[in-house]
Amino acid sequence: EEEPEENQFCMKDLPKHACSYCGIHDPACVVYCNASKKWFCNGRGNTSGSHIINHLVRAKAKEVTLHKDGPLGETVLECYNCGCRNVFLLGFIPAKAESVVVLLCRHPCANLSNLKDMNWDPSQWQPLINDRSFLSWLVKVPSEQDQLRSRQITAQQINKLEELWKDNPDAKLEDLERTGLDEEPTQVQLRYDDAYQYQNIFGPLVKLEADYDKRLKESQTQDNIVTRWDTGLNKKRIAYFCLSKANDEMKLMHGDELRLRYIGELQKSWSGVGHVIKIPDNHSDEIAIELKSNAGVPENCTHNFVLDFVWKSTSFDRMQSALKTFAVDDSSVWGYIYHKLLGHEVEDIVLKCTLPKRFSAPGLPELNHSQVYAVKTVLQRPLSLIQGPPGTGKTVTSATVVYHMVKQNNGPVLVCAPSNIAVDQLTEKIHKTGLKVVRLCAKSREAIDSPVSFLALHNQIRNMDTLPELNKLQQLKDEYDRLNNSELGRAKEIKATAADVICCTCVGAGDPRLAKLQFSSVLIDESTQATEPECMIPVILGCRQLILVGDHCQLGPVVMCKKAARAGLSQSLFERLVVLGIRPIRLQVQYRMHPALSSFPSNIFYEGSLQNGVTAAERIRSGLDFPWPQPDKPMFFYSTFGTEEISSSGTSYLNRTEAANIEKLATRLLRAGVKPEQIGIITPYEGQRAYQVQHMQYNGALNKKLYMEIEVASVDAFQGREKDFILLSCVRSNEHQGIGFLNDPRRLNVALTRAKYGVIIVGNPKMLSRQTLWCHLLTYYREQKCLVEGPLSSLKECFVNISKPRKLVN
Amino acid sequence: ETDEEVKVLKPKVAVCKEDDDFMSAFDQMMNDSIQARTQESLKVPHVDIAIPTQVKNKTKKLALPGQGISDKEDEEKDKEKSGTTGLKFVLMTRKGNKQQLTDFEIPMTAEFATKFKEREEAEKLE
Ligand SMILES: [Zn+2]
Ligand SMILES: [Zn+2]
Ligand SMILES: [Zn+2]
Repeated sequence: EEEPEENQFCMKDLPKHACSYCGIHDPACVVYCNASKKWFCNGRGNTSGSHIINHLVRAKAKEVTLHKDGPLGETVLECYNCGCRNVFLLGFIPAKAESVVVLLCRHPCANLSNLKDMNWDPSQWQPLINDRSFLSWLVKVPSEQDQLRSRQITAQQINKLEELWKDNPDAKLEDLERTGLDEEPTQVQLRYDDAYQYQNIFGPLVKLEADYDKRLKESQTQDNIVTRWDTGLNKKRIAYFCLSKANDEMKLMHGDELRLRYIGELQKSWSGVGHVIKIPDNHSDEIAIELKSNAGVPENCTHNFVLDFVWKSTSFDRMQSALKTFAVDDSSVWGYIYHKLLGHEVEDIVLKCTLPKRFSAPGLPELNHSQVYAVKTVLQRPLSLIQGPPGTGKTVTSATVVYHMVKQNNGPVLVCAPSNIAVDQLTEKIHKTGLKVVRLCAKSREAIDSPVSFLALHNQIRNMDTLPELNKLQQLKDEYDRLNNSELGRAKEIKATAADVICCTCVGAGDPRLAKLQFSSVLIDESTQATEPECMIPVILGCRQLILVGDHCQLGPVVMCKKAARAGLSQSLFERLVVLGIRPIRLQVQYRMHPALSSFPSNIFYEGSLQNGVTAAERIRSGLDFPWPQPDKPMFFYSTFGTEEISSSGTSYLNRTEAANIEKLATRLLRAGVKPEQIGIITPYEGQRAYQVQHMQYNGALNKKLYMEIEVASVDAFQGREKDFILLSCVRSNEHQGIGFLNDPRRLNVALTRAKYGVIIVGNPKMLSRQTLWCHLLTYYREQKCLVEGPLSSLKECFVNISKPRKLVN
Repeated sequence: ETDEEVKVLKPKVAVCKEDDDFMSAFDQMMNDSIQARTQESLKVPHVDIAIPTQVKNKTKKLALPGQGISDKEDEEKDKEKSGTTGLKFVLMTRKGNKQQLTDFEIPMTAEFATKFKEREEAEKLE
């Protein structure tokens, strides 16, 4: 009671070198970040890395200096040999006989062969950063006592503070509260009073996501770009170049806009904007952009280019505009749909429609009973949800529904999906039914080739010159191109194609070319991967009948801004409608997986309702020389007890044993005659993915080219796709981390349901079984006698203790 | 009156999305750094890192128990404080073009120190 203010932490009297997060200021415990000119301590507080590492990672800084009063004096950490200052690469090696160590970078200096001759021991190289903090002999870790008495800062606060520093480098933690940055946006609701309230809640979330995206993209400027020039068939200049940083951060996609600038002295400075037409793949790391204008292109120069990402607000603007239209324009959706979407009680309505005699559509496979039921039901309802678990023929069902909707003669049908790939797949299927389909692409994507390019509006217009109607149209087109693309002209262009079906992405439905058109029937495929405002873009074009297709038991929409995600932007409209009590019609027959592979996902994720449309015989690769522990079950869990996870090797976030085992399995499959493109490897972390790719190419027993054709990616990249064989690597990061991504049931579901002919999971069963869902999976594999260990040539059942499965609560 | 021990609870990791994100960002950064390095074709100076003679003599001395440069009493005190024994080392760094040698201590708990000790003992036996 004597000193009540003792616990109250006060930053103002602290020395300059106090940790900018927690205030700890023992000179032996702090490090100076050369880039942001701030000090941070080597204590973790309640986070998974020390404060200095937290800062370096979040600020993307790499160089540091030690304090002059610390044990090593004022020292800039750098490689003794090459001067490299990236602390993520630095480590030390001892002399063979003397008590002396030297700082060297991991590559190439610590690998140079003549080090050995000079009495150094390079095999002892160890990184300066271990388990996400600096080695304690280099920078002391503040005592637990000191850490507890310093300011307790959470990872959330660290994030916010780092964000704040981007605008105001002098900001203090106290400023967080003052600026209201700490405020959370209003949570999404289950029901809304009206569309104004709906807009008032979603509008700010879309804004948050837009701001986040903008900041991220605009921070991606890269210099020292070396360019190679070419000219496309359309006479436009194409620039090829590689990025020094991996593409992971840029997350470039076809159609993205980049600005290339010349800053050299060989000619006057130049800047030009172009669309991405090629991204890095397994074969080449090059990126290509097609420039909008050829004027002044410095074709003779190759060096001294700078690259900026051009952020476009289009998709966010279209979401905001859809929310607004929904609120103010009562003709934007039919009353029934309006109230249903807002969660109001409405009496059910059956639509008048002439049900077809035959439900299967021409050109498409015959429907099974649950597909027929789905088609029949949705045709009579104004609002329906179709849930398509993996491999159940969702796209065929959607295409068939669209076919029959067109036959009802209610005007053209609008078909959307969040991604271009999904739209293309569906477009192809609908085209097979003989309907007149137009694929509407963003202008920036017109140069990109796809399997349905011939259905793209711009190509259809070009090919229809022979028709007098279209001749007129071409004139009109030229006219309006001149008149700066008048909306009316654009709408006429689409009308002239007399299309039965318009296919585009959800965001594409906000294209001005559709603005003057009305679509009473709308189908959205993969709708569980779209945010709610994204889904609303096609809906507000006069919708009277809405069909949402998807699977809320697989991955949901990607929302980058954590705040917006927390507030509920990552919940899809489909999911909310399910919670509101609209029962999805579930497709129940799966045609992808060997029955042994579908059984677990069916029981855990779909209440055991999945039936198999394929027999075991159809999904066994006859003559495949592969050591399945149970010949009738093409699956096993390969127990791997890699100790690297907690070692101090510096690559503790990697699991070498697991990567080596995955490589052996892949090699064995290749040897048995499986084509590399039929194998998929799923790894949870980017670090492990890159390591896996390299490991296979350099250590694999077979030709490097074969391994290059094997797709190694995250679960998310495999959603909506299938492979013959899937190898799943389960590495967790290390002792300060839980099982991370593997906790998400939806992700596990996707991972387990990609393979047609076989699944092999590689991981540590003991560690994984601590998590309820994994415990069930492991128990299942054990019951099937498919939990094994040992060399591939003589796999034996693994009897390691795993926890008893607890009951799963949905 | 009683000399009650103050029990300080170890700071606990607060599991949250932001922390998970940090961990994957860390992996990413480590990986990007390594990738960028292996892809770059680096012009590295020829290695010529001889162990300086003054270090040779000094460390030999240090390696002998009881004859360290630092005061023996101090050493004892340090041991008491940290509860562990450390190994004396010399760190070689560069300040501009000048070589810099700094004495420091690696706690015996560090994996590296243990290994060093084992090797040293093995050599003594020979
Ligand atoms: Zn701190
Ligand atoms: Zn180096
Ligand atoms: Zn109402």
